[in-house]
Amino acid sequence: MNRTDFMNQLESLLQSISSTEREEAMQYYNDYFDDAGAENEQEVIEALGNPARVAENIKRDLLGNGENGTWGRRAKASDRALAEYQGENGSWGKGNTVVTSTSRGKAEMPVWLVVLIVILLVCASPALLGIVAGLAGVLIGLIAGWFSMILGVGSAALVLFVMLFVLIVVGCMCIAWDPLVGVALMGGGLICGGLGILFMMLTVAMGSIATPAICKWVAGLFKKKAEKKEK
Amino acid sequence: MVFNTGAALLDAIVLAVVSKDVEGTYGYKITQEVRQVIELSESTLYPVLRRLQKDECLEVYDMECAGRNRRYYKVTSRGWAQLRLYESEWRRYSDKITGLFEGRVDLSCGMNEGKDSAGREGEGYE
Repeated sequence: MNRTDFMNQLESLLQSISSTEREEAMQYYNDYFDDAGAENEQEVIEALGNPARVAENIKRDLLGNGENGTWGRRAKASDRALAEYQGENGSWGKGNTVVTSTSRGKAEMPVWLVVLIVILLVCASPALLGIVAGLAGVLIGLIAGWFSMILGVGSAALVLFVMLFVLIVVGCMCIAWDPLVGVALMGGGLICGGLGILFMMLTVAMGSIATPAICKWVAGLFKKKAEKKEK
Repeated sequence: MVFNTGAALLDAIVLAVVSKDVEGTYGYKITQEVRQVIELSESTLYPVLRRLQKDECLEVYDMECAGRNRRYYKVTSRGWAQLRLYESEWRRYSDKITGLFEGRVDLSCGMNEGKDSAGREGEGYE
């Protein structure tokens, strides 16, 4: 791999970060190659590892800066430095918020905030229960409606098959005394039969294809939520 | 390299190295100098420099050199304060561990280890 390949790969691997950050990183590593000199190009590439590793380090650090853990810890150290050594250097002329929270490590919620939330939940509970019950009702209604539709379509299919049978029997009986009417009746029966088959296919589709598909889709949504939470 | 160099320690080392050049220094040189002190993968240095720059401990400026622009990093006043903090924290931290290894620390005294005279608890390195 040569420098151009390396830098091209790095650039494409950094597509997921902002263009400013990407340009900064590209500039840095281009300068790095320049400063190392052309004779050291292969050494630099070996030392950097591969573009994927470099990109990973950059991305991990950029993402890590957004979380409370890393930033909170370093902000506290910086602000303590400010407080301690400010006398020697005067003020920096920039508003610095001093973190007064006594929590350590990862961000924990202050106790008073938790209590406040609990109180709010208790006060709002009648309304919340109403809303939840309403939503549950809508959900039950939708499910019931869906299955009722399947039932309805199935019943229609059944009725149509019955009609097929009845009309063919009656048609046969009529053929003896009025052939045209008999044939018409039988024809009608066959039409009903055809419609019956259509409805039966629809029932089967709704029942055994659509219903599992909908269940899988809902399960998929929950899985995605779980994956997002883990991240 | 037996011990892991955590993020804060890495920041401290890079700050210390950059601070040796009052006028500032550039990425490649910083990397070479840091590698004289600790074993460091060259791909880890840029994120550290970027982080220090965002924390306003380092500032950057470009200087024309041999027909191209070279980006220099320089320690800011906030960076100097941060470095002094790191140095004093490191002294306390390494003294405690050295004391433990050399048997100077009496582990039978209750829970009051770890607080200095001002009553603050040390952050330590993670």
